[in-house]
Amino acid sequence: MSEFDAIVVGAGPAGTSAASKMASSGMNVLLVERGDPPGSKNVSGGILWGKDLSKLYPDWEKTAPLERFITNKVTGFLTEDSSISIDFKTKRFERQRTGYSVLRTKLDGWLAKKAKDSGATVITGITVDGLARDGNKVIGVRQENDVITSDLVVLAEGANPRIAIDEGLRQPINDHDVAIGIKQVFKFSEQTINERFNLRNGAGFAGEYSLGFLNNGVKAGGFLYTNKDTISLGVVIDIFDLRKDNSTYSFDIMEKFASHPYIAPYIEGGQLQEYSAHLVCEGGIDYVPKLYGNGYLIAGDSAGFSFSNGMMIQGMNYAIASGIAAGETAISAKESNDYSESMLSSYEKKLSSSEVLMDMRNFRGIQNVTWSPLVHEFIPKFTEGILYNMFNETGEPKKHLFEIALENFAGSKYDRKSLVLDLYRMMRRM
Amino acid sequence: MNIEEKLAVLNYKTDPTYPHITVNPSICETCPDHFCTFACPARCYTLIDGKLNFKYEDCVECGTCFVACSHGSVKWTNPKGGQGIKYKLG
Repeated sequence: MSEFDAIVVGAGPAGTSAASKMASSGMNVLLVERGDPPGSKNVSGGILWGKDLSKLYPDWEKTAPLERFITNKVTGFLTEDSSISIDFKTKRFERQRTGYSVLRTKLDGWLAKKAKDSGATVITGITVDGLARDGNKVIGVRQENDVITSDLVVLAEGANPRIAIDEGLRQPINDHDVAIGIKQVFKFSEQTINERFNLRNGAGFAGEYSLGFLNNGVKAGGFLYTNKDTISLGVVIDIFDLRKDNSTYSFDIMEKFASHPYIAPYIEGGQLQEYSAHLVCEGGIDYVPKLYGNGYLIAGDSAGFSFSNGMMIQGMNYAIASGIAAGETAISAKESNDYSESMLSSYEKKLSSSEVLMDMRNFRGIQNVTWSPLVHEFIPKFTEGILYNMFNETGEPKKHLFEIALENFAGSKYDRKSLVLDLYRMMRRM
Repeated sequence: MNIEEKLAVLNYKTDPTYPHITVNPSICETCPDHFCTFACPARCYTLIDGKLNFKYEDCVECGTCFVACSHGSVKWTNPKGGQGIKYKLG
C-alpha cells in the first residue's frame, strides 16, 4: 500500500496543474517543491498565452496575479544602429484577452495555493533526490535517506530536469536542445510604463526581437515585456554558436541588448530589481523524451514542451495543458487501479490530440529556421539597408525598390541559391 | 552595470555545507576551451592565472554549465531543500 496515490515533483505550472486535477477528483496527492516559497526558483519571460487555466479555475483571470493583458505585440530585428519591426496593436485583444504578462514567483505561489485548496498536500523547501524503484516500476521518490511511496510519480521539474536525466528517463541535454535565458526586471511607476508604451487600463506590451548586432555568428533573441509596475527585459542565447565563438560572455549579450539605442530609452531610470537566468527548451519535438513508463509521467519543461516559431513563444500554457493531461491520465489509472506503462500511455494519446504535441509535431525543425543565419544576420541587415536607402534623401535621383534590393543583396554574403532555399524553408516551416 | 553589481541585488540562502555543483580540477586543468567561463550567466566560472576558479555561492541554478561543459567535469545537483537562489519576482 503506497503512502500517496501520486507524488508530483515540482510546483510550477505543470506540477501544480497535475496535482490540482488529481486532488480535486479525490486522489491523495503530495506536491513536492524544492523552492521555498514555491516559485522562488522559477523564471519565465514571461507571457502566459491561452486559457488553459480556465479548465481548472474558471475564475482565474479575476483572481490570479496577472500583470497586464497584452494588446501590443511587436516582432522585430535590431542591428547595431537600427530597429525594424512589425508593431501590432488591436482592440480585439482588449475584448478577447489572450496573453498576460506574469512574474513567476507570484504566479507559482498562487498556483501552489490553488493546488493546496484542491486538496493536495504541498510541501516546500524539500529537494527530491531521485526515484524509488521496484524492478522496472517507479514506486515513489527518494529524499535524504528516506523513501516516500506512491502509485504514480509525475515529474514536473522544469527545464533542468535533474531526476529525469539522472534516472535515465531522458537523453542528456545537447547544445541545440536548450538556450540560455537571462532576464532583468526593472522597477517603474505604473504611470511611467503607461506613458512610455502608450498603454491604458491594464493593457500591456510584448516585444520580441532578433538581435542582429552580435558578432562571430553568435545568435540570440531579445524580449521586452511590460508588467504592472516593472519591465522584464531578457535574452535567449543559442549555445551552439556561443560555444563555436568561445569569446563572448552570455551576460554581456544581456547588457548589450539593454543598452541598444532603441531599447535603452524604454528602461531608462528603472531600478534593477532582479537578475535571473534559466534554460529555455528549444529542441522541438526531437527533444521530447518518452513521456510515460511504469509508475511515472513527465510534464512541462521536463518533457521539453515549448514552442517558438519566431512569432509566438510559448511554454507555460503547454506546461498547464500537459499537467492537466497527466492529471486526467492519473485519474483513469486510479479508477482501474493500474499504473502500468500501457495504461499510462493514454497520456501521450491525450497530448497528441491537443495543441501541445500537435504544434510540436507540425512545426518539427522550426528551430533550424528561428536560429538560422537568415533570421539573425541576413534579414536584419538586408532590410536595414533597403529601408535606409529608401527613406534617406540624398539629393540624388531616386531608385526603384528592386534596384535598391539588388544592391543590398550584392553587399551581403548570401548566394542567391541558398537564399531562395532558406526563404522557402522559412515560409514552409513558420 | 556590470555582472557583479547585478548579482548583488539577488537574495541567496547559501548552504555552506553543500556545494551543489562541483568540478573536477584535473579535467579543468587540461580543458582546451573553458567554455563555462563564457556560458555561465552568473560568472561563477573564471580563469585566474589560467586556472579555473569556480564559486557555487553565486549560482542561480539555471543548469547552463551542465550543458556547456562537454568534458564531463561539471557534476550538477540541486541545492538541499530551500537553499540557494531565492527569486522574489521570477
